[in-house]
Amino acid sequence: MAVILHKDYKVERDDYAAAGKVSSDIKQTLNSIGYDPKVMRRIAVASYESEINMLIHAYGGDITMDIMDDGQVKLVFKDPGPGIPDLEKALTPGFSTASEKARAMGFGAGMGLPNIQRVTDDFDIQSSQDGTTLTLSFRPAK
Amino acid sequence: MTRRSVVSYTLESCIRCMKCIKACPTSALSMENDRVIVDSRRCINCGRCIRSCHNRGILAQGSTLEDIKSYEYTVCMVPGALINHCGSREEVEELFYAIRMLGFDEVVDITDCTARQMEEAQLMADSADDVTFISSFCPVINRLIANRYKVLQESILPVNYDSEIAAKQIRQRLKDKKVGIFNLCECEAKLELAKFPYGNNEYECDHALSLTDMFPRIRKNMQKGRIPVSLCVKGLQSCNPVRIVQKDQYLIADGFDKVCAVLDMAEFGLLNQFRLLILYPCFNGCIGGHMLWGNSFLMTNNIDALSHGKTKGSSDVPFEYVYTEDFLKTDEDTRSFMERTMFFKNVNEELERLPGFDCSACGMQTCRVMAEEIVKGNRKEEDCRVLKTLKEKADDDQRSD
Repeated sequence: MAVILHKDYKVERDDYAAAGKVSSDIKQTLNSIGYDPKVMRRIAVASYESEINMLIHAYGGDITMDIMDDGQVKLVFKDPGPGIPDLEKALTPGFSTASEKARAMGFGAGMGLPNIQRVTDDFDIQSSQDGTTLTLSFRPAK
Repeated sequence: MTRRSVVSYTLESCIRCMKCIKACPTSALSMENDRVIVDSRRCINCGRCIRSCHNRGILAQGSTLEDIKSYEYTVCMVPGALINHCGSREEVEELFYAIRMLGFDEVVDITDCTARQMEEAQLMADSADDVTFISSFCPVINRLIANRYKVLQESILPVNYDSEIAAKQIRQRLKDKKVGIFNLCECEAKLELAKFPYGNNEYECDHALSLTDMFPRIRKNMQKGRIPVSLCVKGLQSCNPVRIVQKDQYLIADGFDKVCAVLDMAEFGLLNQFRLLILYPCFNGCIGGHMLWGNSFLMTNNIDALSHGKTKGSSDVPFEYVYTEDFLKTDEDTRSFMERTMFFKNVNEELERLPGFDCSACGMQTCRVMAEEIVKGNRKEEDCRVLKTLKEKADDDQRSD
């Protein structure tokens, strides 16, 4: 299994004006290569949630997308902190730690991580106070 | 098979200003050998290029009145958007008379079919639990989704265009005659929804007429007589986003950029609380159709004035007239997944070498389109005027050193 397309993105800290830009590019890229729309829908939902999470909970971060020759898509969201203190809670639907500012903007309903997990084929999350790395994989329908 | 774009180019008046090329939301236009080329696979018939042109170099043409002669009996369908341009019932009756004077045997108002179309859409949306449907009333939206929002393609309602519902009804009613059904279109996009002039044989409607072409003649015929009409209020209201009966679970948007923003959000799953997205690419809905001449804000008020007097309910045509899957079909890309991805990758690499100014001086709308053409082998890097100038300047500097 080889990577046939790789893309790097950056999410700047507190840059709310750019919210969703990376997910839009991911979506456009998949649209351009004629990716399976059903899987694309799941990727769009997961990438948007994850990107917004980086913005409201972390200090920005890096996103990479790898498209494999068998059609698999792997997304990695890596932020430099502050990390998720209680992962189990964060994966519980409805639990939220979003700031007032973020809630006022309509974010932070507490469905982020559980939603991402629901639409992803392979879900992995590693978190410490030095940062969080979220690795998501999506497989095309057979 | 790719459907032909309704946009055509008239060479004589073109001053090659590139405004049309820059105006296109889907990068369908380019300039080659001093001519504007329209890529029918990309064009969504939104008409932005037509309105950007100051010299009438870009047009959308419909059938001509000559075509009336090919039929034993002819019917002209009038959309609600045009009816809403009349300030009173009397004016509507004059308008219908004026249209009949163009040579038709019968003039039919299709607001009852517009209402039926909206009713079926709302019925489907109201009975859905966790699906978000998208209105199928506008051919521009349907093409836009097929082109740029493939994720949402399965969300488009299987409800046919009002002109098609009406045409099927007319064909059935007059099945003993050789009937020619004409649709008087309020925008360029609807010119596509007929057998002629664009050869889309899957449609029941025979000819699409451009209101821009017909208007001068209709105007001359006004105040000469009247034909009594009975209008469907719900159909008149469906032409305008402000007048549709709103419910919490409907999201209504008009204007091209707003509609794109809504579609983007829908793809990210941010509009799942809605059952129906009613989208009009034209500002103020079909009343803002580009071939209509009046102020769309004033026309909105006409809806109330026209609601008095003889009215009729929505059309009761059978279900098979209303539902269709036809507009969901798109061209299959014959390239493999690997080929498509490698093409995209090569385009990105080529794009790195181009200046990224999107100046259109090469004839392509953006550097990305240019990069695609270079990868396809249709253009060369030297065709980029910015790179060429920079190179010449560098050569000059070297010589003077």
